[in-house]
Amino acid sequence: MANIAAQRIKREFKEVIRSEEVAKCAIKVELVDNNYTELKGEIAGPPDTPYEGGNFVLEIKVPETYPFNPPKVRFITKIWHPNISSVTGAICLDILKDQWAAAMTLRTVLLSLQALLAAAEPDDPQDAVVARQYKENLEMFKLTARHWTNAYAGGPSVNPECDDKIKRLVDMGIEEHQARVALSSYNWDLERATEQLFS
Amino acid sequence: MRPLARQELPTKAVFYSKDTSVSHKIMASASEDVETTRGDGGESPNTKDDEKKEESLLECNICLDTAKDAVVSLCGHLFCWPCLHQWLETRPNHQVCPVCKAAISKEKVVPLYGRGSTKQEDPRDKVPPRPAGQRTEPEPGNNFSGFGFGDSGFHMSFGIGAFPFGFFTSTFNIGEPRPNVGPHGSPQYMEEQFLSKVFLWLALLFIAWLLYA
Repeated sequence: MANIAAQRIKREFKEVIRSEEVAKCAIKVELVDNNYTELKGEIAGPPDTPYEGGNFVLEIKVPETYPFNPPKVRFITKIWHPNISSVTGAICLDILKDQWAAAMTLRTVLLSLQALLAAAEPDDPQDAVVARQYKENLEMFKLTARHWTNAYAGGPSVNPECDDKIKRLVDMGIEEHQARVALSSYNWDLERATEQLFS
Repeated sequence: MRPLARQELPTKAVFYSKDTSVSHKIMASASEDVETTRGDGGESPNTKDDEKKEESLLECNICLDTAKDAVVSLCGHLFCWPCLHQWLETRPNHQVCPVCKAAISKEKVVPLYGRGSTKQEDPRDKVPPRPAGQRTEPEPGNNFSGFGFGDSGFHMSFGIGAFPFGFFTSTFNIGEPRPNVGPHGSPQYMEEQFLSKVFLWLALLFIAWLLYA
């Protein structure tokens, strides 16, 4: 990829490295391979959201046609968010699709993703289950998202009740993540989750 | 030389930001910093910084390099022509400015000709061709000499007789010098070609109608 894409990514690195804006929301980019085609991003959960205190790792793949086409980004860290698949980490964000513009950079993409964590769009969902919970039971959604942040992104907020329910399912021989997904999908109703898992 | 540690940074960029907008100022200060690490230390850091700030103002918004065959959109954003051309080709049905998403098109892009920067060669010979500058003739002054003599740009036409014949004469431009054609390949030229074809067909249809009527 000895072309404009590699050149651009190199320049973007140079330009963002030395941003002296040391501030609240941390963003990080690392190279995964040496030819600038794959990168690892990291964003901190925005304050005053269920994601606060968590660190979310992203997979960034730079296509050969970058910057004329957007980078392919997905969450590696599991996350409970209406616009991000809780299974694959796929992201539903317009600027990563048809609203991409060639002047956008890795920096603006990461900042946009951080903004997405702070402002979900449940009417344009990637994960229908999460989106439905968001619209029907916002408090339950926040609780679940906080729990996932704690479980997968190193968030500080521990919810003993959730952990207890998961442990009961694990004791029944269910894998931990599977148990968490089932409980999250059924608003932490242990009975219904169990029913679904054993049906 | 400045500390070597900085040159290793490209493999690991850690940055923090508060605002979510791409600020030219921030980009400028970032690049100026990087550039100073490359400097040989011969100049004072301040002069160098100022120079680099100036330079980054002339960077293409797509490749982030100094703009080559520079063009400017009507919304004022600077690009290399090859970069912008490729962007427009990528989404032919949805042509927007890569910076501000204003509607743009090949026709509405202005090339920049710096004094020292353009060589004798025509930039349009390059691939992809850069759009031509849009140059409109100034209004002719009051000092025209006579009627229809010379190339003063003053044209008169008299319509005599009934409608069809007036139409006829004007269709064939009898007795009138033709206005200057636009430069080859320019939008104006294409338009004129198209119009002349349309009128030729109209005239042929009209003659056919006259014969059969």
